[in-house]
Amino acid sequence: MIRKLAISAFALLAASGAHAEDLTVYSAGPKPLSAALAEAFTEKTGITVNLFQSNSGKVMARYEAEKSNPHADVLISASWSHAISLSEAGELLAYTSPNAENVPASLKSDDYVAQGAAAIAMVYNTGLDMPAPAEWSDLTDPAYKDMVTMPDPAASGAALTLVQGLVSKDGDAAWSLFRDLKANGMIVPGANSAALNPVLSGARGVVFGAVDYIALGQKAAGEAIEVVYPASGTVLTPRALMIPASTDQAEDAKKFIDFVLSEEGQALVADRMILPARTDIKADRPGWDDLTLIEFDDAQAAADAEKTMAAFKAAVE
Amino acid sequence: MSASVTKTSGGAIRASLFFATMGLAFVVVALPILSIILFAIFPQLNELSLAGAFGNLTPHLGDPRLVQAVFNSVALGISVCALSTLLAVTAAILRGKLGRGGAIWDLCFLVPFLIPPFTGSFAWIQLGQRNGFIEQILGFNISAVLYTFFGIAAVMALNLFPIIYFTTSSALQIVGQRYDEVARVFGATPMRRLFRILLPLVGTAIVSSNLLVFIMTVEEFGTAEILGRRVGIDFVVTYIHEKLTDWPIDLPGASVLSLILILIALGAYSLHMQLMRRTAISVDEVQTPPGASQRDSLGTALSHVALGILALVAVALPLLSILLSAMMQRMSGGLVWSNLNFNAFIELFTTHEEALGAIGTSLHLATVTALVTVTIGVLAAFFIVRWRSVLSGPLDFLLTLPNALPAMTVAVGLILVWNQVFWPWSPYNTWWVMLLAYTCIMLPYPVRMITSTLRQLPMSMQDAAVVYGASDLGVILRVNGPALLGVSVASGFIVFSIASRELVTSLLLTPPGFETVSTFVFHQFDQGSVNTAMAMSLVSVMISGSFIALGNYLNGLRFKKGQ
Repeated sequence: MIRKLAISAFALLAASGAHAEDLTVYSAGPKPLSAALAEAFTEKTGITVNLFQSNSGKVMARYEAEKSNPHADVLISASWSHAISLSEAGELLAYTSPNAENVPASLKSDDYVAQGAAAIAMVYNTGLDMPAPAEWSDLTDPAYKDMVTMPDPAASGAALTLVQGLVSKDGDAAWSLFRDLKANGMIVPGANSAALNPVLSGARGVVFGAVDYIALGQKAAGEAIEVVYPASGTVLTPRALMIPASTDQAEDAKKFIDFVLSEEGQALVADRMILPARTDIKADRPGWDDLTLIEFDDAQAAADAEKTMAAFKAAVE
Repeated sequence: MSASVTKTSGGAIRASLFFATMGLAFVVVALPILSIILFAIFPQLNELSLAGAFGNLTPHLGDPRLVQAVFNSVALGISVCALSTLLAVTAAILRGKLGRGGAIWDLCFLVPFLIPPFTGSFAWIQLGQRNGFIEQILGFNISAVLYTFFGIAAVMALNLFPIIYFTTSSALQIVGQRYDEVARVFGATPMRRLFRILLPLVGTAIVSSNLLVFIMTVEEFGTAEILGRRVGIDFVVTYIHEKLTDWPIDLPGASVLSLILILIALGAYSLHMQLMRRTAISVDEVQTPPGASQRDSLGTALSHVALGILALVAVALPLLSILLSAMMQRMSGGLVWSNLNFNAFIELFTTHEEALGAIGTSLHLATVTALVTVTIGVLAAFFIVRWRSVLSGPLDFLLTLPNALPAMTVAVGLILVWNQVFWPWSPYNTWWVMLLAYTCIMLPYPVRMITSTLRQLPMSMQDAAVVYGASDLGVILRVNGPALLGVSVASGFIVFSIASRELVTSLLLTPPGFETVSTFVFHQFDQGSVNTAMAMSLVSVMISGSFIALGNYLNGLRFKKGQ
């Protein structure tokens, strides 16, 4: 038994030794997407991909902890502010992919680009005795008393972006909206799944600010939910694609970015119900023309993030 | 003082064993902790720079949110200890009277370890929330209880009481029931026997397992996150996690907060040492556990019923909730037959190629971790209890410490230590770094359990052996070893069960291309596939559980043969 274990341990040791010439990609979920992208990329280029898959926080935590001896050649985060900060710190390699031509200017810069984007929406359970909401402010109505959940901006970059967007659009009115929601019994139970699950199981009725692609996937799988984009506007949360300046595989990393932004790569993104970064790729979901987007200065918002989070906490406590 | 305690000429074997144990403890535990301490002081250590020393401490220590979080963590630790002790000691005493007929409950109470706290808390939410399983079946919900401080403490106690249960049970087996019998014959009331005889005899075990439960509660993340956030209560761990999870990532800040957890643990540890001095009691002979029930048939039946109720609440209800969640095709579909089937289980093995690989990796890691930690645990126990030296106290504390460290920071510590260019070879980015992480996190269980049992073993046999010329190795292998076998196996199983579902370090440390059961479950949750996640959790509980049952059975055979 022990001998067997020792042998398999050494086999694993040998198998998991990453080769220096492979491309190491650190990616935040969804896992099927990162895995499909890596596989298709290897098939096309012959370059082996070492994929480290986790959530955005842990991908960035690992990247930060590894600073003295970096491994990542490509980073994919679900949070745009990660890219803004790393870019400001001068930690990213400048690269503009030829395939980024049809990516809107707001979703690219000199050293990072969106892989795709999620829109933020209201998601409600259609099986409950409750009117369908159309606007963010509808949820302060007594009909939604004790029915609303919202992801915590401290745990979900997407929720933070929504707060930033609404505050930049409506100013103080946005803060009183949050206070009214709280007075109407809204709970802020954690990250995205913590807010969506109670709505799926009927313990609550509506999510204020759900990441849409997960809910769209659930709806396609037959869940009794509906996804609503308020006409007054919502925000996008782009997924950032970046190359750390510390990479020693810059050429392969650029090829990977090119591939993700190619028609084939973008189709894989669209398969996961995520809005492709390129406006010319067809989406299986409400696309570029169907969404009213709130425009705001995301660099300024990133700088104010801590203040915004504290103010939000004060409003809903 | 007995001969072996004062005997100083340990010999070459003892010396080399000691250096081996200390060396392992240093590499596995001290190195990552040292790096975390240094990181708290030098916030740019991850870039190998010593700039900005101490600049990070004051702003964090002056944070009012932190004070509240520390208070909440400590209060939760104490509440969970109290609740778990109540459940576990009652259960252990009832089970002790049942003899071999109670073995089924031992197996049952291992199950809570197999359920990851995160999944377990989710299972309770599914059961107790508005429109949850309980309401759909029985027409009421328990959200008013679940979503409170007490609810968090209760869910955690139901998950952690087995630690006290197993330590107390094995202590009860050692002290046997002779003293109790004597008191009964001389007319002591049951209450008096309980408080004057039984509890003092197993006091050491209760106190030392309580230390473990306290520290685990303070460190445990899953429940604190999933229920604590909902209730709006901050704990130190959730605060650390926040620092590590959302932008701007604050690794040095997380290290400072980890130091606070270490300080809390240090406080608990020194309190525990004081209590130990008061409760330590030695008995003069080992008693073999009774084979048959010590109760009349009514008493036996009542004991079984009481243990059954505990098993229902702590084991059956969460498992049932996980099963139902796994079988629900649509979460919004509710508990109706048309919405329930086994597709998630079938899919697991047909469309998810990684699932089997993940199970294999987890079992493999868990087995090796159990072997390694129990070996270190036995050695450490001897150096802490029998062959005391000035380093015994520090060794004991060092080996308890990992439980006070949030797994996230252990992982960060391991990256800081091993991901350096100056090592000729590094375990980082291989299977070995996972083994290091698991060993570090799991070490406290065997160390605490074996140490407290060894403390209760009579010195007389060891002294006799030494007088007749037994070597140190002889004492370990031939004299005390066999008496420690039961608790070593039990602690090995506990390590195996916890390791087979370890999540937090795995999420940060898995080498590219690696997947464990828990990271698989996590990714499924992450994508909203609750039923696949729950199906995988259940399959892993079943597989690990049957390994443990098999081990227990084989151990039982060996035990019978040995008699």
